[in-house]
Amino acid sequence: MIASIGWHPVAASSDLPTGHVYQTQLEGQALAVWRSAEGEVNVWEDRCPHRGVRFSIGVAVGNELQCQYHAWRFASGSGACTHIPAHPTQKPAAVIRATIFPVIERGGLVWTRVAEDHSEGTVPLVRDGVVMRALPVNRPAATVEAALLAAELTGATFFVQPLAEGQSVIRGIARDEASLRTLDSALERLRRQLEADHAVI
Amino acid sequence: MLLYDNAMLPECYAVRLLSGLLGVELDLKTVDCYPGRQHREEAFLAINPLGTLPVLDTGDAFLRDWLAALVYLAARYDSSARWLPTADAGRLAAVQEWLSIARLLQSSAGAARLHDSIGMATDIERRRREAHDLLRMTEKHLWFGERGGDDWLVAGAEPTIADIALFVHVILSEEGGIARMPYPAVRRWTERLRRLPNFALMGGVFPMPALDASRTLLSETECQAASAQSATH
Amino acid sequence: MDPILWNDWHVVGDTAALLHGETFATALLGVALQIARAEDGSVGIVQSDGVPVLCDVRYGFIWACLGTPMQPIIDVPELAVEDMTAVIGGAVSVHASAGRAIENFLDLGHLGYVHAGYLGAEPETAVASYNVETLPGGGVLVTGCEVFQPNALMDNQGVMIGYSYKVERPLTAWFQKILLDSGTLVTTAYLFAQPVDEDHCVAHTLLLVPGSAYSAADIRGYQQLIFLQDKPILENQNPKRLPIGPRMEIPILADKTSIAYRRWLAQLGVTYGVVREAAGVPA
Ligand code: FES
Ligand SMILES: [Fe+2]
Repeated sequence: MIASIGWHPVAASSDLPTGHVYQTQLEGQALAVWRSAEGEVNVWEDRCPHRGVRFSIGVAVGNELQCQYHAWRFASGSGACTHIPAHPTQKPAAVIRATIFPVIERGGLVWTRVAEDHSEGTVPLVRDGVVMRALPVNRPAATVEAALLAAELTGATFFVQPLAEGQSVIRGIARDEASLRTLDSALERLRRQLEADHAVI
Repeated sequence: MLLYDNAMLPECYAVRLLSGLLGVELDLKTVDCYPGRQHREEAFLAINPLGTLPVLDTGDAFLRDWLAALVYLAARYDSSARWLPTADAGRLAAVQEWLSIARLLQSSAGAARLHDSIGMATDIERRRREAHDLLRMTEKHLWFGERGGDDWLVAGAEPTIADIALFVHVILSEEGGIARMPYPAVRRWTERLRRLPNFALMGGVFPMPALDASRTLLSETECQAASAQSATH
Repeated sequence: MDPILWNDWHVVGDTAALLHGETFATALLGVALQIARAEDGSVGIVQSDGVPVLCDVRYGFIWACLGTPMQPIIDVPELAVEDMTAVIGGAVSVHASAGRAIENFLDLGHLGYVHAGYLGAEPETAVASYNVETLPGGGVLVTGCEVFQPNALMDNQGVMIGYSYKVERPLTAWFQKILLDSGTLVTTAYLFAQPVDEDHCVAHTLLLVPGSAYSAADIRGYQQLIFLQDKPILENQNPKRLPIGPRMEIPILADKTSIAYRRWLAQLGVTYGVVREAAGVPA
């Protein structure tokens, strides 16, 4: 397992088909992740600056994300608002923009960082492989990391994405396609143990 | 055919949705179950002693179960047997298995939604846990399906009534406090369904614009190319 | 506790939802309430410790006030108009503050999207300028809104509709729809948003439709369809409480009503279910 400072994987590249807005969280920050028609990946705060609606219930249309409430559109890359249908002939003010986070796509994963009080940190160099299914676990990241280390699973590199209080996601890069199912089942067993240890009666 | 219908209920929506996809016209009769309690009135109980909605009046019979109504519409009006693969034992059994899971979602996610929105009594925490267990299973199935090129619950090029039956409860789950964030493959599957032509909506279900032919899903290689490109920035 | 909301009347249920001899639990401003309807039809409300709560039954709704009412229950003059079909929409609980629900009820810009095909449609999404005034007793009056609606009359015929809106109590909103070319009244609607707690509300609607062309069940069905379209929007707004401080969300000209509503709540000193400081906006 690799611990990274600041930067975390928050989605897989394959999670982002055209038109889709992926929903996740990092350290309590709600995120909307999407890929423009031209292939650019965006990690944005999951909140429209207009009336606070989650971007992740919206749709990506071409190189823009369209909010579900009043259909304002925001440009890939800059997050700048490009169109307000209530005033279709006016150019939206430059201050209207989505809050964007830095993105690096590496090893089939989408990486970002939301905390500002870190030293820069880096995205680890990851070995090529097959991105595993992300497994959400209703336990804190530290607990999950410890359990992963103790489990000594081989054949993959794992990353733990801290979602919000008491929740995390295990992501991993497996060495080969053939081991995907076995590793997935192993992680599911681990999750069952972790969550059972903490079961609500 | 006449559908005894209510705008709030996902089970009624499933029947309208499939009839729309099949191009079958239904006459609708609104039964005001909330707050009017018309489903508890003698007139309705004479049609359906269970007091549940929807009821599909086929002219020959009253179908009092939403899954039965889906089976009937597909078997009767879909000559291609796409929605209900009656001639393929394996796929037919798989459809039935997912219909059973849809029933479990109805009693978990569906009940949670009625609890949260109109105060129906139930053990809410338990209903949510049950729904999450079903969604976890569905997520795994759909994720591995995507890898193998399968877009739908039952392997094959086309969706089946199983997709419709699960969809109506999955898409409204958040109204019962059941977040879909942990289920990205499920979220993508709901979008693929909503992009089908003639896909009807109900209140609470957002439309999905059709993708341009020119903007189909990026292939695996394109994803990797894009990935390599942005990693160098 | 917020004295403005504490000392106001709020709808906490409708009589149709409460048969004789039944009780039912709800909450108002974070206070758990038990509503009981005796066999003789009379209604009583108590808190969990048995302390009775001031209550009244009017217009088919059950009203409660936790403090000392500063004003009587809001007047509904349309109920006195002859040949009016009055329909209670049915209470729907929403995981959002009451203020968010009221603001959505007053919002023109979403009609062509959230209610596409019913109350609006692309490409006619432009919001023409309209008038916003302050009511003599405080509150917001909005007139002169013109909207194309593809299915306002449940007949799939597009019509031009004129809207007026009014907010006279912090958590009650009113609108009136007329046919623009003839001036004929189409619908009057009230939204009474019950503040269950700061992040939850119950939407109680009252619809008044002239004549008897539509059955109560159809009017209710249409209303429920429309409200269900708004519900996931409200439940996906962050924060759940209504931001009323300056520069907290970005309004545009089309949001004049919302701006006036937020400003009025701020002037009144409403603190419950709202966010007043930008710093208070949770991430
Ligand atoms: S809230 Fe996003 S466009 Fe209005
Ligand atoms: Fe609306």
